[in-house]
Amino acid sequence: MRALIVDDSVLARAMLARALKESGIPEIDQAEDGFEAIEKIRENAYDLILMDCNMPNMTGLDTVRTIRNEGKEMPIIVVSCESDQRMVAEILSSGANDYIVKPFEPKTISGILRKVLPDSSKQDRDL
Amino acid sequence: MDQPNSSGGDAQAKRPVAIGSGMTSTKHEFRAEYVNPFIRSVSNLFRTLFKCNVERKEVVLKRRLPPNLDIVALAGLSGGVRGLVALAFPVRTALAMVSRAYDERIVVVDDKVLDAVAECVNIVAGGAQSELASAAGTPIVLSLPTVIRGNDFSLEYPALRNWVEVPFTSELGPFSIRITIAANRSESDSNASIDCG
Repeated sequence: MRALIVDDSVLARAMLARALKESGIPEIDQAEDGFEAIEKIRENAYDLILMDCNMPNMTGLDTVRTIRNEGKEMPIIVVSCESDQRMVAEILSSGANDYIVKPFEPKTISGILRKVLPDSSKQDRDL
Repeated sequence: MDQPNSSGGDAQAKRPVAIGSGMTSTKHEFRAEYVNPFIRSVSNLFRTLFKCNVERKEVVLKRRLPPNLDIVALAGLSGGVRGLVALAFPVRTALAMVSRAYDERIVVVDDKVLDAVAECVNIVAGGAQSELASAAGTPIVLSLPTVIRGNDFSLEYPALRNWVEVPFTSELGPFSIRITIAANRSESDSNASIDCG
């Protein structure tokens, strides 16, 4: 199981990486913006993407659309500060599977993983 | 103006504050529904990310901001409202916050600390976004955050002349949130500037 965290904030990436590790995800890569994320996704196979929304260079929304346009179907969870319901609706219609508002509790991440990764409970047991 | 007392910890921080009654300025009057979402968002940030309750002190409305604290993180608001929100921290508070978040002792203000305070103002503005959009009736757009270090500058927002300052205390140290905000009736006067002295 390999995940990619995409966020321009070092703190956010650290918090997400900690939550993923606690949820039993063994391999975690990081990208600082959408361009770097797309490059990594083209070169590696990821089972899960955690994506910020409000980033410099390329927004999370545009990054999600680009990933989907390239035919990648892994679950994408947008993790963003933005709480506006219209924004959430736009994010989900862009191709993201789910949405988490910052700040989050680690258990929120594990709950979402159980939803979007069918074998995540098995993953926990295997570790 | 309803002066909140300074006791009661986290529950007190979450209690809405009445702002606006009897408080007028030459440009506009502050609306409590524009300020309370930020107070709730600050409380939520500290509780969730820093495992720490905050205590809100007396809310003040000012034409000029008090002397700056050491580190200020700013985010711009546009769309249904226009304005700025700023989180201002003494160095020791910022270091205590970031040390707790990373679970390691951090003693120097470095990129990690500046990144963290930027993320904090991003989260606070984002947390208030939904309620602000409801109050304004249209979506709110957040800018990417900016961080300023040092004390020798003043924050000016030409289109709006009044700031609300909400000081907080916490076990990690004191800090404050400063807000200048109004309904957006014109896109043309939403330029902010920072005057470095």
